[in-house]
Amino acid sequence: MINFNDLKEIIPLIIIAASALISLLIAVYSKKSGMPVYVFSLLAVLAALIFTGLNVTKDVIIISEMLRINPYSNAFCMIALLSVFITFMASKDYLEKLGINFGEYYSILLFALFGMMTMIYANDMLTVFIGLETMSICFYVLTGLLRKRMKSNESAMKYFLLGAFMTGFLLYGMSLIYGATGYTNITKILATYTAIRTPMFLIGLALFMIGFFFKIGIFPFQMWIPDVYEGAPTVVSGMMSTAGKVAAVGTLIPVLITLNLVEYKMLFSILATLTMLYGNIVALSQSNLKRLLAYSSIASAGYIMVGITSMSDLSIKGIAFYLLAYVFMQLGAFIVVSVFENSTPDGKDFRNVTFDEYKGLAKRSPVLAIALTVFLLSLAGIPPFAGFWGKYYIFYAAIKSDLIWLSVIAILLSVISVYYYLKVIVYMWFKEPEGETSGEAVPVKALSYAAIMVSLAGTLLFGLYPDLFFTFFKFLIK
Amino acid sequence: MLSDFGQVLIFMIISIGFVAIAVISGKIVGPRFASKGKDSTYECGEDTVGDTWVRFNFRYYVVALIFIIFDVEIVFLFPWAVVFKEMGLLAFIEMTIFLFILIVGFIYAYAKGDLYWDKPQPIVPKLDRQIFKSEI
Repeated sequence: MINFNDLKEIIPLIIIAASALISLLIAVYSKKSGMPVYVFSLLAVLAALIFTGLNVTKDVIIISEMLRINPYSNAFCMIALLSVFITFMASKDYLEKLGINFGEYYSILLFALFGMMTMIYANDMLTVFIGLETMSICFYVLTGLLRKRMKSNESAMKYFLLGAFMTGFLLYGMSLIYGATGYTNITKILATYTAIRTPMFLIGLALFMIGFFFKIGIFPFQMWIPDVYEGAPTVVSGMMSTAGKVAAVGTLIPVLITLNLVEYKMLFSILATLTMLYGNIVALSQSNLKRLLAYSSIASAGYIMVGITSMSDLSIKGIAFYLLAYVFMQLGAFIVVSVFENSTPDGKDFRNVTFDEYKGLAKRSPVLAIALTVFLLSLAGIPPFAGFWGKYYIFYAAIKSDLIWLSVIAILLSVISVYYYLKVIVYMWFKEPEGETSGEAVPVKALSYAAIMVSLAGTLLFGLYPDLFFTFFKFLIK
Repeated sequence: MLSDFGQVLIFMIISIGFVAIAVISGKIVGPRFASKGKDSTYECGEDTVGDTWVRFNFRYYVVALIFIIFDVEIVFLFPWAVVFKEMGLLAFIEMTIFLFILIVGFIYAYAKGDLYWDKPQPIVPKLDRQIFKSEI
């Protein structure tokens, strides 16, 4: 039975759901200007962020045990909210440039955010499923937002078909878990788990995890990522690769840590190794920056998988920090790409996304070049930036749980990754610009500029003072 | 003893077997006389006219989507009405919120102009002249 007092605990969820509906109406009644809906949705996300931040230490199970609000889920939610907030900041200019500034975009993104938050807070498999589907369906629509481009349509179609297929796996896994334990409630399943480790339960759990691995991009289920991120509008790719990953990881991790599947550690480490290997090695041969970032997102999924493999409280801490750093650097990089990107004269394809077109960017717009350099160095894990600390905490947790060989592989592969990140930097700083627009500065609108600056500030701030994060989420270092 | 899932398995085997037997025995036992009429496309006994791939107004699609709003509404209203007396005010508030969400969808469709149905403007044949001159 629902208690009215429970509603107090889910104010952020209510804010997002209500503003998604209201922004739809604002969008349709203020057709001429995109400003009202833009400002409204930005404020809504900010309000939800503040409310989650204020109640970050709450630890309750509410609404007929359907939702579980605890510091972990609050932390992951805040990271997802932050990612969507930065995406919103950069969206308007980019969408106007491409001529797809529909008011519905903001509404759909808010619905996706609602799905992510529901999923992270979920304490019941059905709630997980509803959240996941709300998120996924919004993602399919956002991917195909450039509806007149073949590439965008293709990627939306691919994403939709594969996503629907993988949802089947997830549902089948859920039904098997329900068959084995008799519960859909995650707390109850976890409580009975040690009693019944039947094959049916384990198969169900494996299928359940496959559904999430697909969303995170773990090795055998990663093939959709480059195609989808390449065809989708760039800010949407950035949002999907950060917020979507945060949501899936935030849902899966508490479950996996509680289950403590120590006897399957080997399997997890192999998946982690293969994911890192695939992401980093294939990225070496890329010449399109969007695809490169997509492969780097697979590699990051591998690092997160290393954290999942170590299965300790320390690794949750590491993963949370890594995801926070990842939001700033990956999203920041995607936003810089979105600012520089342009359409071909016939409006049918992206332009200015290959390395060749990045030649001499430092001469044209030094600020953009500096920002992108910082983001790429942070992704590579070079010390003064946030990405370094993220990797540091994850590998530290792995070493603490006797996975030294895995951390050695991870570090070696992240050394390989420096090569392809540096390649972009070399193109930007040490090559002469080419083509007819070579002399001009890249036009940057104020809001995109602000979004880049926020990401840059985050990357630097958490790189120089990593303790800030842990002071704020003090509960994580018990 | 069979577990609950064992019963499901037996149910599956029987249902697959039933279909298989019906199809295979039809193939084996049934007489076959081919004729031209049998091979033609079935369309209510009439000869087919034209192509099946015709264009139709996409507004039917929009109407079908809007229909879903109300369809879902009814599906949920029905069980709600059954337990309404026991749950009281809470159920009323919940359903109000639910209906409000659906109505937002409807308002959106209305404001977008999807409910505006273009009226047909047929070109009425008109004669400029009343009398035809002989034009030889």
